[in-house]
Amino acid sequence: MKLLTRALSACVLLAAATVAQAEVAVIVNAAATAAPSQSDVANIFLGKDKSLKGVDQKDWNPTKDKFYSAVASKNESQLKSYWSGLVFTGKGQPLPSVADDAAVVAKVGAEADAIGYVDKAAVTDKVKVLFTLP
Amino acid sequence: MTHLRVLSLAACLASTSAFALDQGEYRFNGFGTAGITHLGGEDDGRSYGVNGQTNDSWRGDQLSKLGGQFQYGLTDTVGVTVQATAKPEQDNWKANLEWAYLSWQATDALTLRAGRLRSPVYMYSETLDVGFTYPWLRLPDEVYSQVQVSNYEGADALYTLPLSFGSVSFQVAAGQAVNRNIFAADELYDIDYKKIFAANVSLATNDFGTVRVGYTEADINTDITARVNTVPFGTRATIGLNQLDDQKGKFTSIGYQYDNGTWLTANEWTSRIIERDGEGSTDAFYLMGGRRFGDFLAHVTYAQLDEDEGRQTSWTYGLNYNVTPTVIVKSEYKRVDTTGGYGGVFVENAQESYNHAAYAQTGGLFGSPARNYDGDIISVGVDFVF
Repeated sequence: MKLLTRALSACVLLAAATVAQAEVAVIVNAAATAAPSQSDVANIFLGKDKSLKGVDQKDWNPTKDKFYSAVASKNESQLKSYWSGLVFTGKGQPLPSVADDAAVVAKVGAEADAIGYVDKAAVTDKVKVLFTLP
Repeated sequence: MTHLRVLSLAACLASTSAFALDQGEYRFNGFGTAGITHLGGEDDGRSYGVNGQTNDSWRGDQLSKLGGQFQYGLTDTVGVTVQATAKPEQDNWKANLEWAYLSWQATDALTLRAGRLRSPVYMYSETLDVGFTYPWLRLPDEVYSQVQVSNYEGADALYTLPLSFGSVSFQVAAGQAVNRNIFAADELYDIDYKKIFAANVSLATNDFGTVRVGYTEADINTDITARVNTVPFGTRATIGLNQLDDQKGKFTSIGYQYDNGTWLTANEWTSRIIERDGEGSTDAFYLMGGRRFGDFLAHVTYAQLDEDEGRQTSWTYGLNYNVTPTVIVKSEYKRVDTTGGYGGVFVENAQESYNHAAYAQTGGLFGSPARNYDGDIISVGVDFVF
């Protein structure tokens, strides 16, 4: 029952399908001057710091899992619970999200104040790597 | 199984949102709890709880509730939020408009809101009905039974400042809540809270948890009177149980939460004072610790409520299971004891209160002695958000 439930859960299925090995790169626009630290990045992606526009990944995938566990010590359920707390107190909305690494790179490459996280292999010269999460 | 697939799909879709909504954008989010609860080990029909629906029959109407929230962006910085809930009040289900406000994101850090807002009294006040955001099915009653008003009409300001190690948020609120209900002595009474003022500060650190300190005050008007059979002659009379005429109530809450993904703790201490001769403060706290094992969460809570000579203590043991990231099955066993002839969160009706007072005043000649209570409360339920 438990396995069946999980297998049918679209989000979890994606996470289970690939095993995370690659490094996760936190990226900003190539022309960006801001260089937020890891704790600044946590604040941006938890909606507490709006100085840069966080671009989230839509589905729960290994890159997203690694990013949130590394910068915010949160797994998928905890992140959902965190945002529920903000949504239902009217204090915030989850960040806008795009489909995958390529879409994050495209958006961050196009917007000067955007920040995202992708698999290191997806990084192009339009974006600058702030730091990587092993 | 289809509904599960739909649910998780909805959860995926729900993550496509923005900070403040852009003009013309809207969101609909919902939450709910379906649970049953039972009180064992007390007299037949004795009830327990904020609204007294927990008794010796298995009942689904103490814990269950359903809510929906709609948000719409009027402009890129001005939005409207409406939240409605259906939840039980004493023995009846009731629809409530919990939120209905306009918000203005004045700067990146400052948000101003006006309308009907939730009163920020406790650490979990603003998500009181969203069981998904806290570990219990039943918030520790010792603390959460003390202030029953859940919303007010007024305005607040929220200011959040990012820090190198986390963030700090300030909230100040002012308004009033009139013609609300209060559950006392097994009945519902009218109560007005005027000149409500509340302020709180919350310091969230990335590595060491979150501390919240909150203060709320209001001028309270209520007239809790009841008809009872008097001693020694058994004639009917009206007695006043709690009459407040613009008396100031003050409530302080200090809370601490920590969650590193495996271990978590949630703690809160509260103190309530109603300015009136001869009455002390009502103090309560709970200490909760838990550990996750994969999708399971095991937790234990000690809670205590002190009012004059009386004390209620309880131990709660819970086991939760995350079926999906947005659905949690919870089970809880709570053991409650009172000492000092204290009712605590157990419900005593007006006649019982009168009899106890008569006994104390006549040196045991009339009435009946105040007694202690104890009970075992079992609760099982599901919390979800969408």
